[in-house]
Amino acid sequence: MPTRRPAALLTLAAGLVVILGGTVGLLLTRHSTPPMRPVAAGVGALPAPTGPIVAAPQSPGPRPVAAPVSLTIPLIGVQTNLITLGLQSNGQLQVPSTTSVAGWYTGSPRPGSVGSSIIVGHIDSYKAPGVFYRLNTLTKGDKIYVKRADGTLAEFSVTSVQSYLKDHFPTEDVYGPVPDAELRLITCGGAFDPATHHYLSDIVVYAAQVS
Amino acid sequence: MFPRLTRRLLMLLAASALLLGIPAAATAFASSATSGVGWIRLAHLSPNTPAVDVYLYSFGNSNAEIVLHHVAYGTVSPYETVQAGDYSVAMRAAGASASSQPVLSTSVTIQAGHAYTVAGMGPESGLRLQVMDDDLTTQTDKAAVRIIQASLRDQVVSKVTCGGKTIASNVKFASVVGYQAIPPGTWTMAAVTSAGSTQKSVHLAAGTVDTLVVLDGPSGLEIDVLQDAAGAGNIPVGAVSTGFGGTAGHGPGSPVPWLAVIAAGALLALAGGLGVRRSRLRLHTGI
Repeated sequence: MPTRRPAALLTLAAGLVVILGGTVGLLLTRHSTPPMRPVAAGVGALPAPTGPIVAAPQSPGPRPVAAPVSLTIPLIGVQTNLITLGLQSNGQLQVPSTTSVAGWYTGSPRPGSVGSSIIVGHIDSYKAPGVFYRLNTLTKGDKIYVKRADGTLAEFSVTSVQSYLKDHFPTEDVYGPVPDAELRLITCGGAFDPATHHYLSDIVVYAAQVS
Repeated sequence: MFPRLTRRLLMLLAASALLLGIPAAATAFASSATSGVGWIRLAHLSPNTPAVDVYLYSFGNSNAEIVLHHVAYGTVSPYETVQAGDYSVAMRAAGASASSQPVLSTSVTIQAGHAYTVAGMGPESGLRLQVMDDDLTTQTDKAAVRIIQASLRDQVVSKVTCGGKTIASNVKFASVVGYQAIPPGTWTMAAVTSAGSTQKSVHLAAGTVDTLVVLDGPSGLEIDVLQDAAGAGNIPVGAVSTGFGGTAGHGPGSPVPWLAVIAAGALLALAGGLGVRRSRLRLHTGI
């Protein structure tokens, strides 16, 4: 039947187009993409937030400090609200459901009160940098501010920046008790394992309240 | 030849991963340890000793790092962050010249990541400086409490109770009862002596470390609660996963899906080609 010939030609042409498309796709994905480079610290710097800086005096008795509401790290352009985080059913720390905000672990002391206060944020999403993308560019002495529900600010200074393989994450040192008001900012870092879709390390920024 | 080379390469890779992994594990200390600092606080807990000036010297340095003036009985300073190393603590009568001979002095070695309380303890006639190691750990979901008995009036605290439960008994003056785990909550802490008792409501959060000090107050026994340290009450398990790799480098993508597409295209083209050929044959034979 003569009508079959155009149909067969169409199939042939479609097949050739698919082969062409497949070849182009193959060629386009055969090269590696380098990691995005964090912009040098200082670029995109924000001014320090304004508000009364209040370091609760360390004295006996209860020292109520208002709950944290936002975090500013001027040097690396971080300005985010703080959501609250708990633990997952397996005991692991919850992480923010979006990559653009950071969260405070409610099981840890409030920022500015005695103890190690835990704040977690993403380094990136599937496509773009997250709120803590440039966290590992912080160095000793850099300032971190936490605004609290009562409008007061707690001011912290970075004391050290550490990278830990996730298999060797020192939970007791990161989350355990300390005798002064400290902050730990945690995000991912190091090499990315495309097989498990996870980074192999965690970056922890340690900071102590400026008194 | 090739498999052996591959095996060697794998061993080399494994060895370098180990080498990289070990320092990463070894550097896993608290911030204080990584930044080389520890903490010290100074206290006056001798009831019949007048106020003193307390000096902290870095070992071998005659300029004091910290000077606390007119520290009276019952006073405990906040923690000071200091570089790890050897120090000496000296007490002089309040207002005495900094160059005068101290009434009392002691040496203390401050380790990175550790906290210490140095207290003047005992009666004035037997005043001594005691160095206490302050705990920076708690059991999971527990608070930790230590007791310092600094009441001279009744000499012995027959018992200390927490929520009605005895946590220490027959505690002599100027002695310390080490840390013990206490369930978190708001508890009535009571100290009882032969001459009287006192109580205080104390909130103990999980993950906090406290020191309960029994003191002679102006009108009898008193309890003072010092917060030594605080951390997460419930220590999260393991590390956190806070990245999806969008900014990480990627190796070349897998060729398999594209090869499958090409194969499908080839099949399609083959089918089309065969169809064209067949219809051409039909035209020729006129069927």
